[in-house]
Amino acid sequence: MIRVHLTGQLRDLTDGAAQVEVDSAEDLKGMVAKLDSRFPGMGQRIMDDQEKIRQHVNVFVNSENSRELQKEKTKLKDNDVVHILPAVSGG
Amino acid sequence: MAGRRNKVLLLVGTKKGGFVFTSDTSRKKWKLEGHSNQGKEIPRMTYDGRSGTLMAALTYGHWGPNVVRSKDLGKTWKEPKTPPKFPKGSGLSVERIWQIEPGLGDEPGVVYAGVAPACLFRSEDGGEHWTINEAMLNHKTRKKWQPGAGGMCLHSIVLDERRPKRILIAISAVGVMRSEDEGETWKFQNKNLFVDYQPNHYPEYGQCVHRLAHNPEAPDTIFMQSHFGVYRTDDAAENWIDVRDNLPSRFGFPAAVDANERKRFYVAPLEGDFSRIPPGGHFAVWASDKGGGDWVKLDRGLPEVSYYTVLRDAMTTDKEDPCGVYFGTETGQLWGSRNQGNDWERISDALPPVLSVSAYQM
Repeated sequence: MIRVHLTGQLRDLTDGAAQVEVDSAEDLKGMVAKLDSRFPGMGQRIMDDQEKIRQHVNVFVNSENSRELQKEKTKLKDNDVVHILPAVSGG
Repeated sequence: MAGRRNKVLLLVGTKKGGFVFTSDTSRKKWKLEGHSNQGKEIPRMTYDGRSGTLMAALTYGHWGPNVVRSKDLGKTWKEPKTPPKFPKGSGLSVERIWQIEPGLGDEPGVVYAGVAPACLFRSEDGGEHWTINEAMLNHKTRKKWQPGAGGMCLHSIVLDERRPKRILIAISAVGVMRSEDEGETWKFQNKNLFVDYQPNHYPEYGQCVHRLAHNPEAPDTIFMQSHFGVYRTDDAAENWIDVRDNLPSRFGFPAAVDANERKRFYVAPLEGDFSRIPPGGHFAVWASDKGGGDWVKLDRGLPEVSYYTVLRDAMTTDKEDPCGVYFGTETGQLWGSRNQGNDWERISDALPPVLSVSAYQM
């Protein structure tokens, strides 16, 4: 089981739930696809048209920013904890 | 048979959500019906009178853009099953949706969307699924297209009920393109349009068009506010005529046409691209009754000190007689005139920065 922590506007899609679970996924891209099938529109918010993580979105796997790992191809395993957060921008 | 339309609907897209105002046709009192998509940037709201659907282009900030629609005037919204997206491998991603334009009267599900980076999308089911215009995406000159300061945006779409296969669009800073085969092929239509920032001042493309405006009942006549001038065409952009005449500046963003007098055209000049403020710090709408030329300043009721900036999509006209004119400012004021711009009344004073204003009959 993968635990996914959501923030801000993503909770509009989950009836306010701040945490959801995904049974399994090979990588972040697969996890986002599963989230999107349960919560339509989630994929569009996290990934751009080229299926890359949006420029101003950060996805952490066990507290490591996926940009420092394999980005959307970062592998996932049971008990991983994922945080999806907006990048800090602005004053 | 359609019933009598007895309401005017004013849609205001802002940096912090969309606002819906209504009035009876006297337009003396406006009622704020609601504020939806709060906190989200709404570059454009459109009412599709064929289906009674409100459509909004929005940006979820960090989370990307989309086109949403409402059947209850903004109380509830629905996202599309297939949003406007560039195909995988194109290397492009929709950054912002600038324009939503309902199709012709006899094609009730058809809706167009103009986006940045510049491309046209079409839906045939009222906005549930969107398909990219491949001919524009793969246009042979695309690699040479340049953005304007607001991005490379497709902001104006002109359709023609008499020639249903014709689509005319404008992109900043690419210029005007026209298709005669429903978007299968595109041709530039920029004859006589001046540019200051290229060695060739009349290039085939590369014009920074800020906004087109037209009366749907006379679609061959189109008005343009561009970076370097104010123009009119009477032949669906085969030729453009410089109609700046006595305007205080050639620079501005919005453009609108009168609903009843086909040669009456409204613009809102700014000093120039060097300052982007109204001439002398006093905002005014200017109108011509001759399709451009002999411009008259319309500022009765507007503040003497008014450093208003009105963005390209933030001025519009309604369909009443006499025609109403409306504009929204980057500092959150919404103004309206019930008599062709001759007298101005404040409708709202403290909205978020206004990105777009559009008016419809209901």
